[in-house]
Amino acid sequence: MLLATGLPAVARADNGSSQLDASLLLYGEQGRAKVYEPTVRVTRLFPDGQSLSGQLGLDVITGATPSGALPSGVPPPVVPGGGDNVQTMTAASGGGGGGSSPPDSGAIPVTRFHDLRAALDLDWQKPFGLITPALGGHFSRERDYQSIGGNAKLSLSILHHLTTLTAGAGFNRDDVFPSGGTRLPLSDSTIIIGHAWNPKRVNSGMVGFSQILSRRWMVGVNGSLSVEDGYLTEPYKVVSLMDPSSGLTVGQITENRPTRRNRRDTLTSSVYHLTRDILYLSHRYYWDDWGVTSNTVDLKYRHELGETELGRDAYLQPHLRYYTQTPADFFTFGLVQGAPVPAVLSSDERLGPLRTATLGATLGFTAFGTPGEWSIRAEYIRQFGKGHPGNVVGVQRDFDLFPPVNIGSLVLAYSIPL
Amino acid sequence: MSRSAGLSIPPEPGAASLTRAESIFVGRFEAMASPCEVLIDTDDSSLAGALLHVAEREARRVEAKFSRYRDGNIVHRINHSEGRPVSLDEETEALLGYAATCHRMSHGMFDITSGVLRRIWKFDGGDHVPSEAEVREVLRHVGWERIVYEDSTIRMPAGMEIDLGGIGKEYAVDRAAALIRARTEAAFLVNFGGDLFATGPCRGERPWRVGIDDPEHPGEAALYRIDMAAGALATSGDARRFVLRNGKRLGHILNPKTGWPVEDAPRSVTVLGQTCIEAGTLSTLAYLMGARAREFLEEQGAPFWIL
Repeated sequence: MLLATGLPAVARADNGSSQLDASLLLYGEQGRAKVYEPTVRVTRLFPDGQSLSGQLGLDVITGATPSGALPSGVPPPVVPGGGDNVQTMTAASGGGGGGSSPPDSGAIPVTRFHDLRAALDLDWQKPFGLITPALGGHFSRERDYQSIGGNAKLSLSILHHLTTLTAGAGFNRDDVFPSGGTRLPLSDSTIIIGHAWNPKRVNSGMVGFSQILSRRWMVGVNGSLSVEDGYLTEPYKVVSLMDPSSGLTVGQITENRPTRRNRRDTLTSSVYHLTRDILYLSHRYYWDDWGVTSNTVDLKYRHELGETELGRDAYLQPHLRYYTQTPADFFTFGLVQGAPVPAVLSSDERLGPLRTATLGATLGFTAFGTPGEWSIRAEYIRQFGKGHPGNVVGVQRDFDLFPPVNIGSLVLAYSIPL
Repeated sequence: MSRSAGLSIPPEPGAASLTRAESIFVGRFEAMASPCEVLIDTDDSSLAGALLHVAEREARRVEAKFSRYRDGNIVHRINHSEGRPVSLDEETEALLGYAATCHRMSHGMFDITSGVLRRIWKFDGGDHVPSEAEVREVLRHVGWERIVYEDSTIRMPAGMEIDLGGIGKEYAVDRAAALIRARTEAAFLVNFGGDLFATGPCRGERPWRVGIDDPEHPGEAALYRIDMAAGALATSGDARRFVLRNGKRLGHILNPKTGWPVEDAPRSVTVLGQTCIEAGTLSTLAYLMGARAREFLEEQGAPFWIL
């Protein structure tokens, strides 16, 4: 998605200047994935106002989900007479003996997965009087996904710089190559139909309008649309099959999504300057042809603290955000075994009925004696969903199929002129 | 976190876990009321994950279909048929056919209708023992020969029950192993609750190292180690479920002809077979032979370990 704003603000100087921005994002979903994302950006600002910036980012995604088993508490079996430990045990039935103890008797068995994503972004812009063109390029790669993209933007400042019009376009050429191969959709996930790369093309466009209404107040409206074409299915996601009478899960099939998606959104934002503080308010409305619609309301209040023990130019910025989403037309919590299988279907909760509420705050300051600016942003996100849909059977009625998820994130950032 | 589709994360199948031990992947999950394991000799973690998933799914499928405890499945329908004929699908017919063959070849010692005896025997380590009259009464509802079985249909007199618990796990092991073997050439070992099947040997000509559980200290130590390249192992014994009578432990496998637990049964008998269901049947029968277990297994010609 293209943003209406451009590059980070850099102090102008006659000889040009450079700036380094480094940040570390720590993100964790309770009981689920954890992400560590360090990024580094270098920006060079030239005397004529031209700027060039490059950013390198890494995403380290890990999951260490306990399997529910408890530590055995007993040391691994040792065969009298020495030799290597056994790998597994045979035993009479009636309570176990199926496996050897884990190598470390105190360890909790977990499902581990990890993925590493590297991304490189380059951006350039140059003002020519009232017109400012900008270009950007993106490349990222991870174990099962590659993305190459470019975007171009043009800003026009009119009416004594009070109004800015922006138009932009972007394209992305992504490829999905799932681990283990591409699964046959709507089947048990053991059938692999190939190991080729599955392309996904995204073309997007945006227009934006921002207006300074008074010394204190600036508003903006953006609209964007994008068309996605190609492999849009989540390669590892499955839909559960339920027994028609008991509701117990008896199997699962791989999901399948349409090969095209038209997305639109509009973003309305307002920035209001009080005496020293700033109030940011925005609303985004999104809709697409998969049936997903969403509303986001975002509120930030930047409170200037001035000089504090931590440093000067300190500020505290609390943040509130509320997001609601209606599910995709083909979203389902599960399928009753024996019922006809639709051509497209998914149980991915990111396409389901979803609400999230975010509460967070950012603390920023410039440390004494250094030119660098620090900021720490902490956020708590709670994700809700409608966990008791009408179409489930049997025991599934008793389960909350969409339990709330607690998510926390922490961003540490440091900016310094070079 | 709204990001590009690239941040997709494989789902966690139930409570299964995948860890690495030396050069093999070990997948674990719970099914059929037992700890289940799949060991795969590969360096490819996503292959291991996929195979674990295959094994777990098959274990749950077999359990759902043949467990005595699930309402609505074929076993439930047969056990509540009140003498009416019940038609069988191919898989159930094959499994019951196997049970019928075992019944015949063991002269009635192997009998899947003996499950009703559990009504009067509770193997919880206590000393409750039923009376002769109670046993005689229940024995009236035991006997595979009473079942009419023809043309893919089964007719069972009211009051009788079939219980596939004695071969269900072994069958699930064989099925899971077949599904895994169709998907990889890597050596693997499938172990559901102590009944296992392995192909191999592992890379470097290394055999699988299987321990026989010590019946005195179940789950804690191996009494003996079997090094095997390939084959199926099943163990019968009384280590965990027993009744005390006059201070003697009576194991939980009942002689379907007498309705009583076997006396002088070996503590633990492990048999190596070509399939898990074969190994399981032989170890159960050997156990039922009591003092004659060793003789019986020598006649069968299958490798065995009696502890």
